[in-house]
Amino acid sequence: MIRVRSSKFVALPIVAIGIAACDSTPPPVGMARGEELFETCAPCHGETGAGNADIETPAIAGLPQWYLQSQLQSFQEGWRGQHADDIPGLRMRPMAVTLNREGDIESVSQYVASLDPTFPPSTLHGNAGVGAEQYRAVCVACHGEDGLGDEVLRAPPIVQIHDWYLLQELENYRSGARGAHPADTWGITMRANTVAMTDQTMQDVIAYVQTLR
Amino acid sequence: MIDQASTYAADIDNIIIWVAVLAGFWFFVAEGVFFWLILKYRAKPGVKAQYLEGHENHVKKWVTWPHVGILAFDFVIIVMAIMVWYDVKQQLPEPDRTIRVIGQQWAWTFQHPGQDNQLDTDDDIFTVDELHVEVDQTYHFLLEATDVLHSFSIPVFRIKQDAIPGRTITGWFEATQTGEYDVQCAEICGIGHGVMAARVHIEDSDGHAAWVASAATAQ
Repeated sequence: MIRVRSSKFVALPIVAIGIAACDSTPPPVGMARGEELFETCAPCHGETGAGNADIETPAIAGLPQWYLQSQLQSFQEGWRGQHADDIPGLRMRPMAVTLNREGDIESVSQYVASLDPTFPPSTLHGNAGVGAEQYRAVCVACHGEDGLGDEVLRAPPIVQIHDWYLLQELENYRSGARGAHPADTWGITMRANTVAMTDQTMQDVIAYVQTLR
Repeated sequence: MIDQASTYAADIDNIIIWVAVLAGFWFFVAEGVFFWLILKYRAKPGVKAQYLEGHENHVKKWVTWPHVGILAFDFVIIVMAIMVWYDVKQQLPEPDRTIRVIGQQWAWTFQHPGQDNQLDTDDDIFTVDELHVEVDQTYHFLLEATDVLHSFSIPVFRIKQDAIPGRTITGWFEATQTGEYDVQCAEICGIGHGVMAARVHIEDSDGHAAWVASAATAQ
């Protein structure tokens, strides 16, 4: 009899722990949930969101919430990260898919937007003087004189992003690895502006963008 | 049990069942003898326990005979395993088509031959996380990895083959029924391993030809 009573006392806490473990109620939408979700992002993007060139993950700290949300949704929808040539995108897409609860994308985007931008150093060697002409002729219409972007035109700030990442994405737009999905209307606009760009033009424009900081 | 959708899926299932049956037989025999001896030689008043060194034949036979029996069963299992292994991994039947499978963190890229039925030509069809094959056709797959170890697993085919950076590993399969099934990575490959999933679409001849035509148009 004593043993039976003991087993009840042992079993009750175990059942209680089990029930608690099964409680899947997420924390409310907002910074706290975003910080918790960011733990999944940190192994690649870094604790501060500064990115890591060695594994081709861009700096995301301080990007606007609306842009982060739109890109995460693009990954989820398969507009981004679904092309065989976009290897870093292929890594990002399944991670975005894991943000599957209502409010996850908003929360993590809000948290990342709150981080301080890092302005990583330049690694390319384009001609900023030549790039300025191209930038002022084409890019400025959406990304602005200061490169800080325009939410209305869905153009993100580009001054705080790794230059190698800008080059990679311009190449992706040009090849159709990004901005080719019919539903990605803003991406299509960007793609149209890159198809005529040469490798050198891209590097020159990026060199100019780096001077806007 | 999940569907058996390749020519060798049943062979692999059979060997797993035989291993379970043969190992299970000895498990129940051993446990039966064990508990029978415990019961038979349980403590009794006035009977003193003996220490047996195990040198006598009538004692040793309790170890030797099961040992021989297990070795005989092992031999059967090994012969069956080698036969299945040879069929699945060692021999390569002449292919009707060849595809390339590339594993990378955390997606599968599939390179299908286009309408010319030849791989590595201009009309090849590239897809991400979506493999299309024709039923009753023998496929060779050229398996590669771009970053870390992955494992190309299609459970309904009973395929599981490691993908190793720097190497191209050739394997084969022949689908036996149409349908849409899971493809997964079966080797821990990083934080996104659990969501590195794809689908295989097994189509009949007309369906596959239609897909190739539509994919060619899209590209």
